[in-house]
Amino acid sequence: MKINLEVLDSLLVYGTTAIEELNTKELVPKMVTRRRLTRAAKIAIYLADQISLKSERIVYGSSFGEIPAIATILNSLSSKEQISPTVFQNSVYNTAISYLSMLNSNKGEIMTISSGDSTSLNILKAGAIKALDGDTLALIATETLNVENIEQVNSCVDFLEVGVALKVRVTTKEATHKLSSSNSQKFPSSLIEMINIAKDKAQVVEITL
Amino acid sequence: MKIKNKVFITSSSSICCAGKSNEELFKNICNGITGIKKDEHYSYDATPAIGKIESPKSFYENLLVQCQNILDNSSLIDFSETLLILGSSVGGMSQTEEIFFKTKSYKTITPQEHNIDAIAYKLKQHFTFYDDLSFSTACTSSANALGYAHEVLSKGIYKNALVVGADSLCQTTVGGFLSLGVLSSEPCKPFDIDRDGMNVAEGIACLLLETTPNENSVELCGVGYSSDAFHMTQPHTNGSQMAMQNALSSANINSSKVNYINAHGTGTIANDTAEANSIATIFPHKPYISSTKSITGHTLGAAGALEAIVACKVIQLQRVPMSTNLTKAENEELNFSFKTHECSVEYVLSNSFAFGGNNCSLIFGKVK
Repeated sequence: MKINLEVLDSLLVYGTTAIEELNTKELVPKMVTRRRLTRAAKIAIYLADQISLKSERIVYGSSFGEIPAIATILNSLSSKEQISPTVFQNSVYNTAISYLSMLNSNKGEIMTISSGDSTSLNILKAGAIKALDGDTLALIATETLNVENIEQVNSCVDFLEVGVALKVRVTTKEATHKLSSSNSQKFPSSLIEMINIAKDKAQVVEITL
Repeated sequence: MKIKNKVFITSSSSICCAGKSNEELFKNICNGITGIKKDEHYSYDATPAIGKIESPKSFYENLLVQCQNILDNSSLIDFSETLLILGSSVGGMSQTEEIFFKTKSYKTITPQEHNIDAIAYKLKQHFTFYDDLSFSTACTSSANALGYAHEVLSKGIYKNALVVGADSLCQTTVGGFLSLGVLSSEPCKPFDIDRDGMNVAEGIACLLLETTPNENSVELCGVGYSSDAFHMTQPHTNGSQMAMQNALSSANINSSKVNYINAHGTGTIANDTAEANSIATIFPHKPYISSTKSITGHTLGAAGALEAIVACKVIQLQRVPMSTNLTKAENEELNFSFKTHECSVEYVLSNSFAFGGNNCSLIFGKVK
């Protein structure tokens, strides 16, 4: 089965170690909330603002999840120290998108997918199936890999922070873009299909299920 | 989109601290025999009560056994036309911990064995699936996986789906919930006025969903999602009410049709107060309610799938299980099932709520 998705808006942000200028202070004026945000949450909030997301259903994804929180927990446990409760609550894979839902008062359906290198492909597939209901969906993916000693396991990713967002709906228009996993710039391969859609400013994408 | 198909659970298999099969699990739930015990292994300075699978097999060996059970008890020859939908909150974390605590380094951690989809990665080494995806929304992970299976099958996208809820114990979850101050040192007492916290547990629950029923099938009638949009760990009644209402709408039934609610009922102060208030609002006709987590513990990402199997058993056997450890309910408006009893059960609602205010309610029904 094939479903064509019209990409109404898209945005890609990335940095070799960190994405600068996420405008968090303005987007999250309450300091008590802002200081709890993870890097992935800040990226998701920025992306949602830039492509004017409101209360759309969201399919979010990340292959590695909240790696900085997980690394902090591992180091605490290894040193027989207590885990920080804030770090623990921020370690679940749906952390980033939950903060976004709170900020936007989005009380609708929000899914989080984590499918290794197929994460963005599966976000697109799930998004396409859900979009058959006729609404506009937000597809968001992030990776935040900038932790101490990441070079011990990373030899293939040049951009440790990446975020990509697409606003999509089902269309009968012909596809202008074929899904591609081409990755000459060494982005995290888990996000590559969505990255290529955003980079190419694709208008209509064919999703094969 | 217009719904094309009804969706049925045609086969299921599980293992958790309270049973090595669905039958043993449900018998223990009905008889109030808990699998939760005090344990010192997962924390250096506390002895919480947790639910550990007691088996000579490893977690992954048990996972393969459950999936093979599904195949053996189904009409499928293999999973080549099956969508694998996994729900897990920790994935391969226990293996990551083992390596990191030994080496103090990430060098020998294999990403495919660390991530959430480490479980799908292991399964794909033994079975061939049509396709797969993994959900990770903390404690609603496998409930959401079931919801997605309902969606893709009812829309006629895939032929059948294998939903796997799987979470193993690890120091991160035990230590994390300890840091939040919500772990009990005894088997939990969901909805009791004197409850003092939850029990982290491990579990594996697998369900095959198809669009044609067999003689033992239970229908997955509807699913309701919502987000609290309120707080990372404190629940809000608006969100849970909306999930239950959405599930009723999805199943196209009135709330009065629900005979039994398998509550999320973790035994924490915050969850149980909010959930009880939400149930009282949506279900004024007072259906039976119990939480089975005093027997199984909270299997986190696996809980939705494990409790779906409990819901199927309730419908198949027409037996509502007791609320083990509930002596005096905090919310006396509700109709808690204080003892196991036979009664007519047409529809069961099962709740799962998670960090981040992620909510999922599922409705199961007798095949008509």
